[in-house]
Amino acid sequence: MNKLDVVGKREPMLDAWEKATGRARFTDDLAFPGMLYGKILRSPLAHAKILHLDLTGAEKVTGVKGAIGGEDIPKKKYGIVPMAKDEYALAIGKVRYVGDEVAAVVATSLDAAEEALSKIQVDYEELPAVFDPVEAMQPGAPVIHEEVHNNVSASIRKEFGNVEKAFGESDFLFEDTFETQAVNHCPLEPQAALAVVDPSGKVTLYASTQIPFFLRRNLATTLDIPESKVRVIKPKVGGGFGQKIDLYAKDFCAAFFAMKTKKPVKFVYEREEVFTSTRQRHPMHIQLKTGMRKDGTILAQQFKVIADGGAYNSTAPLMITLACYFIMLPYRLENLLFEGYHVYTNKPVGGAMRGHGIPQVRFAVEAQLDHVAEKMGIDPLDLRLKNAFQAGAPHPAKLRVQTCGFSDTLKTAAKGIGWEEKRGKLPFGRGVGLAGASFPSGVSNMSHISSGAMVKIERDGSITLLTGAADIGQGAETVISQIVAEELGVPLEDIRITAADTEITPLDPGTFGSGVTLRAGNAAKIASQEAREKLFEAVAEKMEVNVKELEARNRRIYVKGSPERGMSFKEAIKFYQYSDRPMPIIGRGSYQPPAKEPTTLLKEDGNFSPAYSFMTQAAEVEVDTKTGKVKVLKMVASHDCGKAINPMLVEGQLEGSVVGGMGQALYEEVITEKGRVLNPSFLDYGIPTAMEAPSITSVEVETNDPEGPFGAKESGEGTQLAPAPAIINAIYDAIGVRFKTLPVTPEKILQALDEKKKE
Amino acid sequence: MRGKEVVVKRIITLNVNGEEFEFLTEVHRTLLEVLREDLGLTGTKRGCDLGTCGACTVLIEGKPYLSCLTLAADVQGKKIVTIEGLAQDGEPHPLQKAFVQKGAIQCGFCTPGMILMAKAFLDENPNPSEEEVKQAISGNICRCTGYTKIVEAILSLTHK
Amino acid sequence: MRLPKFEYLEPKTLQEAVRALASDAKRSVLLAGGTDLLVNMKHRVIEPKQVINLKTIPKLAYVKNVKDELRIGALATLHDLSSSRVIQERFPILSHVATKVGAYALQAMGTLGGNLCQGNRCRFYNQSAFWRGAKPPCYKAGGKLCHVVRKPGECHSTYCGDMAPVLIALEAQVRVVGPNGERVLSLSKLYSRDGKRPLSLRKGEILKEVLIPPPSGKTLYLKWRRRESIEFPIVSLALHIEKDGTEKIGKARIIFSAVGSGPVETIGAEEMLESSSLDNRTIERVSNQAAKEISPMRTSIYSPSYKRRMAGILLRQALENFQIPNPK
Repeated sequence: MNKLDVVGKREPMLDAWEKATGRARFTDDLAFPGMLYGKILRSPLAHAKILHLDLTGAEKVTGVKGAIGGEDIPKKKYGIVPMAKDEYALAIGKVRYVGDEVAAVVATSLDAAEEALSKIQVDYEELPAVFDPVEAMQPGAPVIHEEVHNNVSASIRKEFGNVEKAFGESDFLFEDTFETQAVNHCPLEPQAALAVVDPSGKVTLYASTQIPFFLRRNLATTLDIPESKVRVIKPKVGGGFGQKIDLYAKDFCAAFFAMKTKKPVKFVYEREEVFTSTRQRHPMHIQLKTGMRKDGTILAQQFKVIADGGAYNSTAPLMITLACYFIMLPYRLENLLFEGYHVYTNKPVGGAMRGHGIPQVRFAVEAQLDHVAEKMGIDPLDLRLKNAFQAGAPHPAKLRVQTCGFSDTLKTAAKGIGWEEKRGKLPFGRGVGLAGASFPSGVSNMSHISSGAMVKIERDGSITLLTGAADIGQGAETVISQIVAEELGVPLEDIRITAADTEITPLDPGTFGSGVTLRAGNAAKIASQEAREKLFEAVAEKMEVNVKELEARNRRIYVKGSPERGMSFKEAIKFYQYSDRPMPIIGRGSYQPPAKEPTTLLKEDGNFSPAYSFMTQAAEVEVDTKTGKVKVLKMVASHDCGKAINPMLVEGQLEGSVVGGMGQALYEEVITEKGRVLNPSFLDYGIPTAMEAPSITSVEVETNDPEGPFGAKESGEGTQLAPAPAIINAIYDAIGVRFKTLPVTPEKILQALDEKKKE
Repeated sequence: MRGKEVVVKRIITLNVNGEEFEFLTEVHRTLLEVLREDLGLTGTKRGCDLGTCGACTVLIEGKPYLSCLTLAADVQGKKIVTIEGLAQDGEPHPLQKAFVQKGAIQCGFCTPGMILMAKAFLDENPNPSEEEVKQAISGNICRCTGYTKIVEAILSLTHK
Repeated sequence: MRLPKFEYLEPKTLQEAVRALASDAKRSVLLAGGTDLLVNMKHRVIEPKQVINLKTIPKLAYVKNVKDELRIGALATLHDLSSSRVIQERFPILSHVATKVGAYALQAMGTLGGNLCQGNRCRFYNQSAFWRGAKPPCYKAGGKLCHVVRKPGECHSTYCGDMAPVLIALEAQVRVVGPNGERVLSLSKLYSRDGKRPLSLRKGEILKEVLIPPPSGKTLYLKWRRRESIEFPIVSLALHIEKDGTEKIGKARIIFSAVGSGPVETIGAEEMLESSSLDNRTIERVSNQAAKEISPMRTSIYSPSYKRRMAGILLRQALENFQIPNPK
């Protein structure tokens, strides 16, 4: 590959200055004259019929401009996965969890809106509730959604190969049960929406979202207005981690009230609402049986997974499907029987969160693999290396893995943590562990999978990039701009970007499935090439050379290998213009994963993603055996990201994701009692602070995927799959106890050490 | 629940970023609300509203204050600095530069509070250890960065 | 979350504040750092008619030596404590404990007086109005029933302060000012151990300063929490030990936080420790005794049995620290 000028450079984020100086505008930072403030009344009960809703008290509060219940909005269900829509903007008939939306008010001040909520009278008839997914599946359990009698709203049963036969041929069988907890994404910016209606009746919604185009579609459907009457603009978004890949009452209520009152309307969630009433990582109950051949080959695995979905579906079918298919990476596995259930309970709702269904099963697999290795007398690293998937190998579910740096990530992570010197050799209380994983770089979905981009070359030589990609703080806009700058041979500062505005920017699925760099990056790359070709044609004509001989670099266009034979970018534009070619120069790009292959996996096997990333996390921990406290001393995150378009941002992705994963291993759990969240605050929910953050070493393994822009694949989301098992495996190395339930709290460590003493 | 309506509005004067602002407001409003809603200084962020995330940190007489737990009426006559007022004569503060250049900013929602907290801390302790830096910013939650590059950025400005 | 509306007073003297407070004590609150009060007000567990701001009264924030005694004004911030040269030199343990409260900004805002007078905590009480809405208000929040024990007329909320255990171990006293003048009482007596009204202050009384006798012996504070910042203790312990001139222990104070309705002194364990030597067997017996003496309730996400266990473990660690010739 040619030497690169912009791609591969540690560039600060384009909007870092705005953010550092307080000028960056997030949704709640916007205000319009006459704006109304909205609040949502939520159910205090886990499961109840709404017998009567009386809004008159609220309407009488001075300053209140409107109050509505579920019956007042068009009765159209919404949902992020079209086949699984099961939610109304506000509850109709009954509430299904503590925090479910019952009514909404708008007022001229937040004080009035809050007061109005306390004046709404709701008569409920409490219904029996169910909080445990296993109980919820039993006959006679309370029915949460009338159309789903056993509360199983999504399920999958898939067999690859012949598991029974493979178990028969196995020399060793291992069976374990694992439990994972509910985890909140905790984006620092709470969900917000601000709707404005123009004189033509069009609604513009500014929203804290990862999916502007999906939001537009769902708003149109749910509010029963044409899509052309809805515009969604994503301002700065303060983190998402998957929680903002969804649609919320605040979106519908803001738009509805704006249409009704003709005034701007803003809804912003409280932190408590983020905890109780948005989305969380699905807790899972996982039974896992693994068959091993004497030589260390993983022959077969059988799973039974019960995911606690909470009261609504959100991404249910996709989540349980991903859990299944990504068992078969990053290890070769010919025989898999996966049975998975997404079960409704009267609890907060599960949704997409960094890793989306995979971290839970990956924890089970990786924790069990260490046990397997020990019982079979094989080093856990060697066992993983032996079974590591390799690029180009056939995949039982037809995933097409063109590049795979998994083995390299294993080796570099092991080296970084000092595996040889430390594993099994540290004093009691200290230990190292590792775990591996794989993740798609962009997922197919049923609605649309292509990204578009438009690149305009302006008269002054500057570049305008339009992309639908939704930067939520990860730096997507910067990375995509780097790609454009590289293609056009200009410095990054020449690029201006407009992104994530459904009316102006081309379609994009949004930020999920770790696909932005690959998908939107490719679209921008194609658009840049098209624009460049147009310019090259003019230059080629002037210089009397073939277009193919030209190269753009350092703000110059010249004959390859002879930089002196050419002209400046600006001169080229001038010539282009004077040769009567139409201005501006526009390049359009669309990217869709290769033809015929895309599949959602919901109905059939196939290649789910254009490329797959691979990663290994290694951890060193210290366990205080007197108090049970675990301190993660060091983590090494080795990641095959294909090619780091911006290594500094890739590191940032890895570091943040590692600490999140550590939180899930040791500190974090949304605790409920009879469906009520007991710790809906940063005070009581154990999100890691700087004091908990370990030293982190990032290793970028570059495999240059042919499908990725400049070879790039995903980074960041996949990173969160392996920290928890790596830490749990390190704890075993430290104190000889295998934990199968997350999070591993000091309390659990003490209990386990007690039991160990008794043995 | 409340008794008779009482006089709850006052004219208050705040000195924010070297400028005097005089306005009529209700006494139950927090500094965070007034900064964001009345003065348009939205750089100060509302992350939890209960003093547990640090996103609303401002400097009052150089000390870090959580503006969500501070009454606006209570800080009259005090020097208040928000993120918008940190640059001097158009020149960004070294902490702002360090955060930008070291990649310590991702979504940016914790950034203003984090930078101001770091400023208050470094003004007091220009030569901290890494552990002291972590302790100083431990009330500022960040979900994006894992704190790594934030700590690096702050340490890059110490005299060690 | 908006604050409820209230009348706001800015007294210029302590007398003025006392008069205002005494005039309507039940519906008035004192504002110092605000870090505890404003959260409770946003949650609507406190909806006062008037808020009396003590910060407008001059000369309540000081740290000074008066003869041998250290005097700290109630409005001195926790950050003042951790950064005061005087305290660092004479009572380094106080500087240390002040850095363990909340996090940096909370220390810069929070005052010693406010920390000592902070409200008791409970998982049914320290929640938003929405959260609490599913049940009738608890006894502490103005209702009849304590949801912790499901009994009327009781409150089992827990005192979770960090400063009080150490200051009690140092035998600090507090000066309070009320309608009938000043009085001085031991800090330990400031706490009523009644969850509903955790302070023994009389109508109209305001904490003015904390008086600490000259240092003697050694004091340790161990705070147990899941994360090393922000959190209140799951359980914490102040241990103060004075040798009797020989190898034996002359005086011992063992005071826990977060395990009862006020700071909890385990007298049985103290007696067991006094006039014994710090051998391993004593440490084991004393730790077990202390764990037995406390009766934590389920007022947080942590179980009483876990708190009890950690109390014993913390004490053991603290005592072991004293076994080392030059403890930290």
